[in-house]
Amino acid sequence: MIESLATILVILGASAQPELPQFSPPALITSAGQNAEVQMVAVLAKRAGLDHNLNKLATAEDLSGQRTLILVLGASLKGLGAAGLDISKEMDRVKGLVEAARQKNIPILCLHLGGEERRGAQSDEFIKAFLPAARMAIVVKSGNKDGLFSRICQEHSIVLVEVEKTVEALEPLKKAFATS
Amino acid sequence: MACAERQSLSVATSPPADRHQPYEYVGQKAMVVAAHPLAVEAGLKILKAGGNAIDAAVATAGALNAAEPFASGIGGGGFMIIYLAQSRKVTVINFREKAPNKAYPSMFTEKGEEAPAWRTTKGLAVGVPGALAGWDLALKRYGTKPLAEVLRPAIEIAANGYPVSETFSSINKDEYEKILANAGENTVYLNHGLPYEPGELWRNPELAQTLSLIAQKGIEVFYRGEVAKKIIQAVQEKGGLMTLDDLANYEAVEVEPLHGPYRGAEVFTIPPPGSGLHLLQLLNIATHWPLAQWGRTSALYLHHLTEAMRLVFADREAYLGDPDFVQIPVAKLLSAARARYKAAMIKPDQLLSAYWPENSESETDVGNTTHLCVVDEQGNAVALTQSINHFFGSGIIPEGTGFILNNHMDDFAPNDSGPNCPGPGHRPASSMAPLLMFREGKLSLVLGSPGGTRIFPSLAEIIINIVDFGLSLDEAIEAPRFFSYSQAGKGRPLNLEPRFPAEIIKELESRGHKITLREAYDKYFGGAQGIIIDNKKKLLLGGADSRRDGFGQGY
Repeated sequence: MIESLATILVILGASAQPELPQFSPPALITSAGQNAEVQMVAVLAKRAGLDHNLNKLATAEDLSGQRTLILVLGASLKGLGAAGLDISKEMDRVKGLVEAARQKNIPILCLHLGGEERRGAQSDEFIKAFLPAARMAIVVKSGNKDGLFSRICQEHSIVLVEVEKTVEALEPLKKAFATS
Repeated sequence: MACAERQSLSVATSPPADRHQPYEYVGQKAMVVAAHPLAVEAGLKILKAGGNAIDAAVATAGALNAAEPFASGIGGGGFMIIYLAQSRKVTVINFREKAPNKAYPSMFTEKGEEAPAWRTTKGLAVGVPGALAGWDLALKRYGTKPLAEVLRPAIEIAANGYPVSETFSSINKDEYEKILANAGENTVYLNHGLPYEPGELWRNPELAQTLSLIAQKGIEVFYRGEVAKKIIQAVQEKGGLMTLDDLANYEAVEVEPLHGPYRGAEVFTIPPPGSGLHLLQLLNIATHWPLAQWGRTSALYLHHLTEAMRLVFADREAYLGDPDFVQIPVAKLLSAARARYKAAMIKPDQLLSAYWPENSESETDVGNTTHLCVVDEQGNAVALTQSINHFFGSGIIPEGTGFILNNHMDDFAPNDSGPNCPGPGHRPASSMAPLLMFREGKLSLVLGSPGGTRIFPSLAEIIINIVDFGLSLDEAIEAPRFFSYSQAGKGRPLNLEPRFPAEIIKELESRGHKITLREAYDKYFGGAQGIIIDNKKKLLLGGADSRRDGFGQGY
């Protein structure tokens, strides 16, 4: 009952937000799937005044000096092609990164801003593989129509914040780093 | 709904809510199909004001610059194939971009690892735009209305704006990094620095002003006047070689079409540097197989046509370039003997070990583009394909003009020798292949598609879907697609929309194909638009691709 209430509170909007986990800068921003949204997150991070480093091909070594890992979820065949990667190589890259973050106790914040368009078999592979490692997820609502994000977040006690569109991710992002 | 049932319907019926459901637009006198409803409206407006198919095609093309700015416009180029009913003449206007005069074969290879960026997002990527010159030439030779009048709808669309579609938003997001880097956060192509969401209003007052200036002063202002200066400034600031002389000397040209048979029909299409040649090659090979017997979703059909694509791409690598500068053995490539030989080479149950010739690398596998078709009351027709290459082109926007410059220099081969290497004034090889098909001497199909290297294979599949498998035009367009090619002699993976039966996909894998599954209606495979002219029933039947925002209307 209490869990259901928390989910409803998330959906209702900013004024009813549950207590957000706190993250500290600097943050390493990378994608899981070479999507275009990772660049948008970097712009939002800049607007939030957040000390960050964008590295689309980040590996474990790039976590040095970072206190948060921001993982932007969603596969783009175009992005993968441009990076000279396939799904399997990208999976391996992000696995190594997430494992390294876990070992160094670096918390993970996931975002999925591509909405319904950024779902599908390949994107879902990345979501299912890496979202469980997060403490918090910010998701454009249309990407959660089937409840995939809700289910994973509920199962792994991850705070889920839904927004209507990309620009609205700015506020929860700011709040997540507010006391740092 | 089957084609035959359409006859009894009013021409005013609306498309179904599910835009993937095949639907044919019906008209009796005239029709326009294009990749955006506002562009279709522009073409129809000109037809109803007494314009002919050429006037309407240019109006639609101009309107697409405003309504679908990421895919084509005055910053790019293209080809159109025209049918003139009275004289029964078919002709082609080539308004493909040209390399600047300072271009040279190693201009990209000498950049080493940075070559991909120089080819796509910097000033070197920009070819001398040809769209306005081509539109102007077509109107002067075969139109009845002045450029100023046919540009008016485009000006209104740019000035008034429209709600952004899911397609626009999705592409805006995909190309975000390039737009941010080259056009900046304050560009009209972003909404306060972030991509547009579906439904948000998008206006382009600067494009409206530029088009108004051109309407007022003619294309001279673009090729020699104040717009030219802004183009050169923008290109050179980003390291490009283009000069004012390049723009001043650009000419669109009228050329003879290519044509070839397919199962009793005659297909007319564009010559090199377009890929009409390779469309005809593919059909020549396919004609040797009992496709109707095999079936549209059979592994036999998919396997054979895929292998044929790889063989044709090998020829394309070896031969396709600008015919003004290289010899292309068109007759040899289109010969019946060659097609018979290629068809016989293909093994039914396994892949070929290599795809000849092996001596060069192909262009990079991108490119997007747009296509429109018009048929007018006199029976004239235009199939026009135009592009700025990648969605949002180079991302470079001449200051204050509102239009995006192409990155068609990326269509030159990556090596510095061979028929398609960069050279002064060369037009790069193009995958475009707008076409007209005739049966018993009468025009029966107007068709084309965007989609980079997938263009001519997709068009071959649509023609085969209609002729061999008996589908209606929009069924043929919406049917699942597949694509492969070869590069330096090696076959590349087979890209499929996943709507083919799973057992067929397994059968293809058992033959050795490496499969890449795309999305169900993936714009990777293009966005075809077409019009069937049913000469018996005196009807026009339009098909528009739901992979993009395809739409049509007739009356």
